[in-house]
Amino acid sequence: MVGIGILGVLAIAAAIGVITARQPVHSALYLVANLLSLALLYLDLKAEFLAAAQVIVYAGAIMVLFLFVVTLLTAGKEEHELPEDLPGQRATAGILSIIVGIVLVALAIKYPGTQLKVALPSGFGGLNSTGKLLWGPDFIYLVGVAIMLLTAALGVLVLNPPKRERLLERRLAAQKEHDATAETRKGAGKEGQGA
Amino acid sequence: MIYVNWVVALAAIIFTVGTIGVMFRRNPLIMFMASEMMWNAAALAFIAYARQLHDMNGQVMAFVIMATAAAEVGIGLAIIVSVYHKRHRLDIDEISRLKG
Repeated sequence: MVGIGILGVLAIAAAIGVITARQPVHSALYLVANLLSLALLYLDLKAEFLAAAQVIVYAGAIMVLFLFVVTLLTAGKEEHELPEDLPGQRATAGILSIIVGIVLVALAIKYPGTQLKVALPSGFGGLNSTGKLLWGPDFIYLVGVAIMLLTAALGVLVLNPPKRERLLERRLAAQKEHDATAETRKGAGKEGQGA
Repeated sequence: MIYVNWVVALAAIIFTVGTIGVMFRRNPLIMFMASEMMWNAAALAFIAYARQLHDMNGQVMAFVIMATAAAEVGIGLAIIVSVYHKRHRLDIDEISRLKG
């Protein structure tokens, strides 16, 4: 009970840290804290498989990818912001998003939920029941996710292709070298015949 | 006593913080992290309602959200890197020419 409150405060504090940190590296670390506290919350909500997946996929793979890109792009750089193109955009956007947040929280609190201590059917939230749904009635989602991940991998390859010119240059150089060796070989053969 | 809708309210708060992050920051990496937080808030709401309704389909949806976020991170970081290679600045206004 107290645990959920502490996790919630941690998650909100880390979320605010993500959007207020000056350096992207600090943002990424705050995001890791946010994801880990959410994973513990999942565990409290009887979603054991998703808690493990959150730690492995999000806090592990995705955040490491983020940190790689952050260190690749912002290593030892101090960015100063250019003047804004749209004056007043931030104030308007901030007011509107705070209104949206207040409405969302009001809606969430308005409709009463059940207590968290209500007994659950046995086997709820484990790997077994998730897998039974994913390979049974919800198999179409699994296929969709598989196709989407494949498309994403292809899309990354399309977006960052290997340098075309360099490949062409290398191929031309190899061709020239090949021609040169063929010439010398031919020349050597002719000389041999002449002799 | 802890009620499920408090967890949904927490998800709403995290979603709002993510929205504010996307609106306020101009570093595309931080905007991207804020949008990751919004994905996670949605997954948290799904899991909370799965707990309330005793229905595993909510958790399956959270699984789908996680996989979608993984695909999105791959594509988005590729876009950010290729834009950075062309413009050498990390600022979202560099991509404003994409507008129609």
